Amino acid sequence: MTPRERWLALFAGEKTDRIPTDYWATDEVTARLCRDLCCKSLEELYTRLQIDGIFAIDPPRTALHHSDDPEADIWGVRRTPVNYDGGVYEEFANHPLAHMTSVDELDAYAWPSADDHDYEAYRAMIRQAPGHRLIRSGNFEPFLLYCALRGMELAMMDLVANPDFATAALDRIFAYYYELAGRTFEAGGGRIEVTYIAEDLGGQTSLLMSLPLIRRFFLPRQRQMADLAKGFGIRIFYHTDGAARSVIPDLISVTGIDVLNPIQWRCPGMDREGLVRNFGDSIIFHGAMDNQQTLPFGTVDDVRREVLENVEIFRNARWVCAPCHNLQPVTSTEKIVTLYDTIHRYGTR
Amino acid sequence: MADLQKLHDAILNGNFKIARDVTQQALDEGADPAVLVHDTMIPAMNEVGRRYEANEYFVPELLIAARAMKASLELIRPLLAARGAEPVARVVIGTVQGDLHDIGKNLVAAMLEGAGFEVVDLGVDVPPEKFAAAVQEKNASMVALSALLTTTMYSMKAVIEKLNSSGLRGKVKVIIGGAPVTQKYADEIGADGYSNNANAAVALARKLLAA
Repeated sequence: MTPRERWLALFAGEKTDRIPTDYWATDEVTARLCRDLCCKSLEELYTRLQIDGIFAIDPPRTALHHSDDPEADIWGVRRTPVNYDGGVYEEFANHPLAHMTSVDELDAYAWPSADDHDYEAYRAMIRQAPGHRLIRSGNFEPFLLYCALRGMELAMMDLVANPDFATAALDRIFAYYYELAGRTFEAGGGRIEVTYIAEDLGGQTSLLMSLPLIRRFFLPRQRQMADLAKGFGIRIFYHTDGAARSVIPDLISVTGIDVLNPIQWRCPGMDREGLVRNFGDSIIFHGAMDNQQTLPFGTVDDVRREVLENVEIFRNARWVCAPCHNLQPVTSTEKIVTLYDTIHRYGTR
Repeated sequence: MADLQKLHDAILNGNFKIARDVTQQALDEGADPAVLVHDTMIPAMNEVGRRYEANEYFVPELLIAARAMKASLELIRPLLAARGAEPVARVVIGTVQGDLHDIGKNLVAAMLEGAGFEVVDLGVDVPPEKFAAAVQEKNASMVALSALLTTTMYSMKAVIEKLNSSGLRGKVKVIIGGAPVTQKYADEIGADGYSNNANAAVALARKLLAA
């Protein structure tokens, strides 16, 4: 089976020749792995480690900056590189909506347009996309963007203290993404197989915000976006970090997700057996290789043990073996190779 | 007469304008600021913490309650300082070097303040020597360290080493927290305590400082 066939079989609930795998990592880790394993490209790395990685493409932007701020992105958010031991993260440097108090001010703000993308170039990219990989387009995570625009604390407080403002801003963000997704899916000409919808709803020990707030602010827009995708036969890959157990029934019945990532099983309520028991018939589990303790701080044996444990727990469920979120430089090449070698050795059906 | 139940409820419900107005009214009428803190504000924040533990409150409710409490404290703090009142304890808090994430740190800071601690917030991306200097300068009895990333939590160890080499470790308790941080890691680097949430951090701080 090709990686794409493996994914499609998984979606169809059919047997795969082996447990599929995926790969999320920082650029620094990918560069190191390529160097250590003598691979010249990500595709070579995928082949070397037999990773069923997804090919993600989107219509390129024709405008790169906000009309009023040439140093910011299209939303008006600036970023600054912050070094840590082993790499660099881009962090937000300003929050352009932080000073606003009224919806009128939102109206006056210059919002980006779905026109500012090159759909012709995207069509060409789609034509050249590798036939053996699943293709993903579309990326919808509006509250994360709202946090960047407003500042995380204010964004969180708005949900309870300033709900009309939050709704108006989220509506504007949604309008852009809905239009962009519609045109993208259209231009995809039936080649797009999956889209990405996300919102980090779980913290380390519980939901970050209450279920009523999630139902009010997030799920209806996710549903609309998912319905749009499904009209094109596109599946929904959903990401939420953390302890999100109590919202999963809504993600299935309201949003209509197909894949749930990343399964941080050490968080309360996220035990893998329970998730398989309760939701195994409805969704594909993606991730489950712990990236807070096992991969960064465990031994090679710990990594091997966790892969084997997962093979056993997800035996009768649909699971894509992948790290929970991006592998970081703190995780050695040996441990990453062990992850993929172990799943290939013991994940054959 | 200022309605102190109203102040209590304003903090609990996160209405900072009412909290500030009622506090101002009470102070204008001659209320003892220390009594306001101990009899009204701390109980309100205790209830906020209880609701958080019970999954009735989440991060947004915690944040607006903290904002209301701070609005009230801003009026009270200068009066307490003027009479030379000592806080429960002084805590130096910050997100460690290389890490810019501060919502968890801010929640812990707010809950500590709400429990009567004086909090010296050094912000984010704080180098070890800055923690040590603040402990010395502010005569703090506790240091609280936060990190969100597996790649930055190592900086916590560097802070403890700096406190050691500066001869300050013996006079402060060190507590740590953040998504990838565990009790095991706290033990490894010689921190005095670990907490996985802002409310439990207050209980931990009280316990360590009472010991």
